[in-house]
Amino acid sequence: MPDENTLDEGHVDDQTGRVPKVQPDAEEISGGVTRVSDDPERPGLQRLWYAMWHPGRGQFMIAAMLCVLATMVVMQVRTTNEDQTYANTRREDLVQLLDGLNHESRRLENEIAELERTKAELEYGGDAREVARAEAERREDALAILSGESPAYGPGVRITIKDTNGAVEAQMVLSAVQELRDAGAEAIEINDSIRVVESTWFGGGSGSLVVDDVPLGHTIVIDAIGSPEALSEAVRFRGGVESQVTSTEVGATLMMSEVDDLTVASVYQRQPPEHARPVG
Amino acid sequence: MIPILGLVIGILIGVFMEPSLPTGLQPYLPIAIVAAMDAVFGGVRAWLQGQFTDRVFVVSFISNVLIAALIVWVGDKIGVGSQLSTAVVVVLGIRIFTNAAAIRRGLFHA
Repeated sequence: MPDENTLDEGHVDDQTGRVPKVQPDAEEISGGVTRVSDDPERPGLQRLWYAMWHPGRGQFMIAAMLCVLATMVVMQVRTTNEDQTYANTRREDLVQLLDGLNHESRRLENEIAELERTKAELEYGGDAREVARAEAERREDALAILSGESPAYGPGVRITIKDTNGAVEAQMVLSAVQELRDAGAEAIEINDSIRVVESTWFGGGSGSLVVDDVPLGHTIVIDAIGSPEALSEAVRFRGGVESQVTSTEVGATLMMSEVDDLTVASVYQRQPPEHARPVG
Repeated sequence: MIPILGLVIGILIGVFMEPSLPTGLQPYLPIAIVAAMDAVFGGVRAWLQGQFTDRVFVVSFISNVLIAALIVWVGDKIGVGSQLSTAVVVVLGIRIFTNAAAIRRGLFHA
């Protein structure tokens, strides 16, 4: 196969059939070569420079081959960068490797299942805590309203009693409050300043009523938050507070209005119990 | 100048078009590259000595690549694949260095 690559220069070149000479004869300088770049007698650098700017057909061939070479090199570099070869490992080693990987894979799968279980438990636990917390918040709100520690607003009734004769008794106001409670009042306020709680007491003689140490004047305003229908029924029923205070002996007037958005702003400052303790 | 262009175009093709060989041929690519480099160096050296023919160059390029790949493939089949591959690379490396020395003499001493 014709080949330019010979290891020693004295070898017969089978393409041209002659031994390449280091020094040329005179005939060879004048004949044959027409281009500077093909003339072997010129200095190599000069030929190279000449060839760079005077392209010949041969250069396209070289360019094509270099193109192929460069593409191959880039492909291989890319493969080398991403490839981890097991190409030279023996079959037994590969089998062992595979076994080890299988074990590892199973172990990791078990670990995944374990962690997922833990995650589910924590989520559920978190949910349950969240539900409990929301429930506790709701109860706290409800209890705050019922215990008088928090202001409240909602539908209800506003009862105004004008005690012109000063004949309304503490007992009447107390039973009015009781009737309202029985009808489902959740927050009761007197004169926009006294929140009625379980320990509220009514006292004083007629005409000089006192509620929780606060004297009431001749106008008593009772605000109650609850179902307006039930509360007005509690006031108006026969023998209730309306009939009591508007009777001829007492002679006071009572006005009641159902309100959609009643605000009970006063609160009760509660002290912790001195004697009682919770059970459990 | 044109061969350099050819080189650059080859690099660009390799980088942007991302060609890939069928996986059966991929192990032989490195040896093919070394054989091709040997042919290129031989071609440059022949040109410097005034003996360059493009026909010979192309044929030697292709045949170098094919024969090197063939030798390694036969080596794989008979079980001495990696040793034969090493041997081919060593021999091609020797020839590359010899040609490179001749090129150097041709460029800087003649």
